[in-house]
Amino acid sequence: MLKPILLVEDNPHDLELTLIALSKSQLANEVVIARDGAEALDYLHRRGEHKERAVGNPAVVLLDLKLPKVDGLEVLREIRHTDALKSIPVCMLTSSKEEQDVVRSYELGVNAYVVKPVDFTEFLRAISDLGMFWAVLNEPPPGSRRYIKPK
Amino acid sequence: MTQATPANLDLSRCADEPIRTPGSIQPHGFMLTLSHALVVQQASANLEAWVGMPAREALGLPLAGVIGEAAATRLEPEFAAGRIGSRPTYLGIVTTGNGEHFDVLAHTWDGLLIVECEGVNRGYAADFRHLYPLIGDFLLNVNGSASIIELSELAARHVRAVTGFGRVLVYRFDTGGHGQVLAESKENGYESYLGQHFPASDVPAQARALYALSPIRLIQDANYTAAPLVPELNPVSGKRNDLSFAALRSVSPVHLQYMRNMGTLASMSVSLIVKGELWGLISCHNAGPCPVQVEKRTACEQLGQILALCIESREDATELQFRLEVRRIMVEMLGHLTKGADFLENMSGVFPDLLRFGRAGGVAIVVDDRVLTYGDTPDEPAIRDLVAWLAVQGYSDVFHTDHLKGVYPAADGMVRNASGLLALPISRIHKHYLLWFRPEVVQTIEWAGNPRGKQASANDPTQLTPRLSFDAWRETIHGRSLPWHVAEIELTIEFRSALLGIALERAEQMAELAEELGRANKELEAFSYSVSHDLRAPLRHIVGFSDLLIESAGSEDLERRQRFLKNIKDSARLAGKLVDDLLSFSQMGRAALRPAKVDMNDLVGACIDKLGIEIGQRNVDWHIERLPTIWADPAFLHLAVLNLLSNAVKFTGGRDPAVITITSEDKDGGYVFHIADNGAGFNMEYVHKLFGVFQRLHRMEDFQGTGIGLANVRRIVERHNGRVWANSVLGEGATFSFSIPKHPLS
Repeated sequence: MLKPILLVEDNPHDLELTLIALSKSQLANEVVIARDGAEALDYLHRRGEHKERAVGNPAVVLLDLKLPKVDGLEVLREIRHTDALKSIPVCMLTSSKEEQDVVRSYELGVNAYVVKPVDFTEFLRAISDLGMFWAVLNEPPPGSRRYIKPK
Repeated sequence: MTQATPANLDLSRCADEPIRTPGSIQPHGFMLTLSHALVVQQASANLEAWVGMPAREALGLPLAGVIGEAAATRLEPEFAAGRIGSRPTYLGIVTTGNGEHFDVLAHTWDGLLIVECEGVNRGYAADFRHLYPLIGDFLLNVNGSASIIELSELAARHVRAVTGFGRVLVYRFDTGGHGQVLAESKENGYESYLGQHFPASDVPAQARALYALSPIRLIQDANYTAAPLVPELNPVSGKRNDLSFAALRSVSPVHLQYMRNMGTLASMSVSLIVKGELWGLISCHNAGPCPVQVEKRTACEQLGQILALCIESREDATELQFRLEVRRIMVEMLGHLTKGADFLENMSGVFPDLLRFGRAGGVAIVVDDRVLTYGDTPDEPAIRDLVAWLAVQGYSDVFHTDHLKGVYPAADGMVRNASGLLALPISRIHKHYLLWFRPEVVQTIEWAGNPRGKQASANDPTQLTPRLSFDAWRETIHGRSLPWHVAEIELTIEFRSALLGIALERAEQMAELAEELGRANKELEAFSYSVSHDLRAPLRHIVGFSDLLIESAGSEDLERRQRFLKNIKDSARLAGKLVDDLLSFSQMGRAALRPAKVDMNDLVGACIDKLGIEIGQRNVDWHIERLPTIWADPAFLHLAVLNLLSNAVKFTGGRDPAVITITSEDKDGGYVFHIADNGAGFNMEYVHKLFGVFQRLHRMEDFQGTGIGLANVRRIVERHNGRVWANSVLGEGATFSFSIPKHPLS
């Protein structure tokens, strides 16, 4: 059973574009979608709507910075401050190139910070690379399984 | 001992003379002291000379036994009526058993009835009738005479006319107690003292105190031989009688010597009491002895009172005029001072006014190490030294002197332009001063005799020598400026308060400005952030979906391509709206408010009309209370209310009917408006983000929006000094409230 990718994205257009990109990269992982920070935390903590989901952390969290209710940085902080969650790789996926956002993210222990390229081809490649790296190449923390690309 | 002789008087005791309790009287009348039962307790030793009965024999007798039945019968009803107070009352004339006529004055003091009988050579009572035309004439002239000096001259002429004295002076005491002759009326042959000064030692403090109590004193003949009271002590008090108010009271032998030295054998003084203080004297001299009978003394006393009243009103008027003028200058200065931002620049802008304010020759402003001067001032290093000295003295209030050299020896070199100094510290922490300099005014004082001539001679230090010469003696005084007026000092302190007020106000303005700048900065940051984030997103989407559209050119999936096209259109529209909203948001911060009366009923009505398109066919129940008329910028407020109502309409999208209620209340000096809906509401956990720029609590596809609307509302309300807040139960509705003060911009 492959670990899912948790995609936290509020903007429907961004969501659609990201999903298209992920599907093009032919990753077999399930993509779980959260539409705001609060929902992402509900998923991670297995509460609210996600109370019944199977135990286990996602392979990676792709996290938008600007989110309704609880923003990306707050989600990141909570992940890093929760024992059961803090080893999850988190990748910021955002429009913001603002230095303060990058600095704050790394301070909070983000694993990668990716600025969404305006050019769609580049965007495709970025998403594909991201998925490939975190879900396939990267050695996950002990206890998780590495994805092996089906032949 | 009833009277010391000049030969054994000690100078040091001069001011300790028992002037209230001399134990004797002048001999132009006799004195009896009576018990309540009108039994003679004491008699003056000259009784025998007046009524033919030795004083000792009178003791213990009823009054009639001394002055005769007729005279006693005449006086007793007066005594019995209890009309005799603590100041002498004229009881009329009596003729004693031996046929002598006496004016009788009586007062009670020290537990005794003190009866004074002055010998007169008429058999009828003193006639006061001529007193009225005299006073009337004086009053008539008072209105025409403007100055105190003119009034004093008039009084001197009248007093001389009434009394027949050879010379009448009006003089006033200065703050040092020296007397200056303001006015004079004299016969030919009398030396003039006009303009001259009498040293304070001429009238010792205790004499001055007595003048303040007892308004008139007559010495008919300086060569008199005093008549002691027999017995010496008041049997009621066991002490010497206090004769402070007795008309016949004997005076100090020193004074008699003084008179003889001055060449006057008769003198009379009338006190001028202004505001309860001894302001000056009407002083009358005559070369030879000169009796002044009771009615004339009364006339002079009344004249003195009227003169004092006139002086008081003239001084009040002058003082008021002076204060008004100084205040006018101060207010004018303050008007200029509130204009600019830089204190030093402001102050130096009003230099000429500062000069006039302090009637000064030069002004300096010292702010730490900076020294700005105007007019004739000492040089900068000297001013710096002076300020250092002032700081060490620790004057926290105004420091002033008209004789700087006297307290600050280093001022020796700046006597010319800085004999007078008024220094105003304008900070308790820093060495900041405002300094006014007054130039030296060389003064020539003409003394009536050498003021130091009253000193005992070195050869015989125990002998009192009242000064012998009253020839004009000129003294030149250096190193002094015009003295500082009390009003100038008081207003200087007031000026400082006003300056501090201005400084405080400025600090407040700066703080406010800093706060505003901080807020503007924050908003600007958010603005640029959004340009990089929110505005980039729709552009990226347009590019992305366009690429996808091109890529899928050959595809048969029409529905997919349609959606891409719709996404492109939506993104473009959103980008446009973002730009519009951002623009209006940034304008909101800049444009000046133009407050006017706003009828909130009309305003809400207009907003609802505008929302017609958004509402479309939806069923919205509006519940609008009667709303007040407020004072606000109509255009801005319209935008705020429109935003809130549009939100209410937007977030009740799923309700049928949508219920939107608008209410208001009058609270804490302002109006509070509430807009409640039964819509989606929001989680109170995130309420703190609600009014931030580009904060959204809902998904884009659920409720459209740019995240700027509520930030705009907050900005508008806060610019009216109001407050905005919200409450909600998720899924049940939200209430947005804002307050606008009744005087939003004061």
